Amino acid sequence: MDHRPFEDWLLDNQTLNLEQERQLNVHLRTCSSCTAIAEVNLALNSVREVAPAAGFSDRFQVRLAANKQALRWRNIWGFLILTLSALGILVWAAWPILKDLILSPVNLLASWISSLASFWAAIQAITRTGVMLFKVVPGFVPVYVWMAILIAAGVWCVVWVVSLIKFTKVSQGV
Amino acid sequence: MTDEMTWIIQAQHGDDDSFTNLVETYQKPVYNLCYRMLGEMEAAEDAAQETFLKAYQNLTRYDRERSFATWLLSIAAHHCIDKLRRRRFNSVSIDEDEEGQTDIPDHSAPDPESEIMKHQQRERLQDCLQSLDPTDRAAVAMRYWQDCSEVEIAQALNLTVPAVKSRLHRARRALAELWEEKPTRMRHERKPYGSPAF
Repeated sequence: MDHRPFEDWLLDNQTLNLEQERQLNVHLRTCSSCTAIAEVNLALNSVREVAPAAGFSDRFQVRLAANKQALRWRNIWGFLILTLSALGILVWAAWPILKDLILSPVNLLASWISSLASFWAAIQAITRTGVMLFKVVPGFVPVYVWMAILIAAGVWCVVWVVSLIKFTKVSQGV
Repeated sequence: MTDEMTWIIQAQHGDDDSFTNLVETYQKPVYNLCYRMLGEMEAAEDAAQETFLKAYQNLTRYDRERSFATWLLSIAAHHCIDKLRRRRFNSVSIDEDEEGQTDIPDHSAPDPESEIMKHQQRERLQDCLQSLDPTDRAAVAMRYWQDCSEVEIAQALNLTVPAVKSRLHRARRALAELWEEKPTRMRHERKPYGSPAF
């Protein structure tokens, strides 16, 4: 018998029958590489577990407490840095307004009121135009166009509902 | 429900005393794995402490369907693999092992000579172990020191079972080659071989 099967038995840590054991022991007398594997296997199977020094869990408690404390400080510093950064960015972004507010508060207030009044006037103009169009436009559109629009809207709704049902259906699988 | 599961659930709800019970239960296997991986007592202590700290911080992510021991050993193994990969050189020496308080020969044993021989064999094995690839080392340590099955090792190291088998096979071969190279400090008579192929 050649060297290969013995090496495979040892490297795969196979369970051997009595005859295989006998053959292996004969082979080991003449093969130094298989002897080394066998010795390693023997050593591996007689290993001993090492234990940590006494008081491991106490030392863990101390480490855990220190870790929690460090985390707390990290959170406090993180919050402070974040708040200060946000404040800084806000002041930087609002500086043109803030500057005017500090230098001439009355002028700034007047310009704000004027802007609000313009905005209100624009809203009123848009509303008036919309109402006028709503009264005039229907007269120019024939009835069959309205019917076509309604039918198209109905078809679109049906397609939409069917698609929703189809795509949200949960597969029951086997 | 087992004590262990009760402690896990209580610890997940923030009970530190329950987590301490878990630390006390698993300190030895976790420390042992770290020691076999790193080869230094101080580094092993630090790695084991870090393992429990990571476990504490990630306890809510622990899947109760899995074995807690395997989960912990997985954290320890990955932590040690990361540490080893960061290291440029392995600075492990046999002398450091001799300085340790946990793996010394028992001179009061009935057969002190045999005890010393076994101790030297363990030292030699530990020395050879340090030359293995970190993942192979983790697989060997989990297989022989923690008695983990190949499935458990695969789960812990994120490998497939055939990959674990192949790594163990390769590791045994590498250990045998190193075993031949390293000089034996004391000549001893080889015992006849027994099955399984140990």
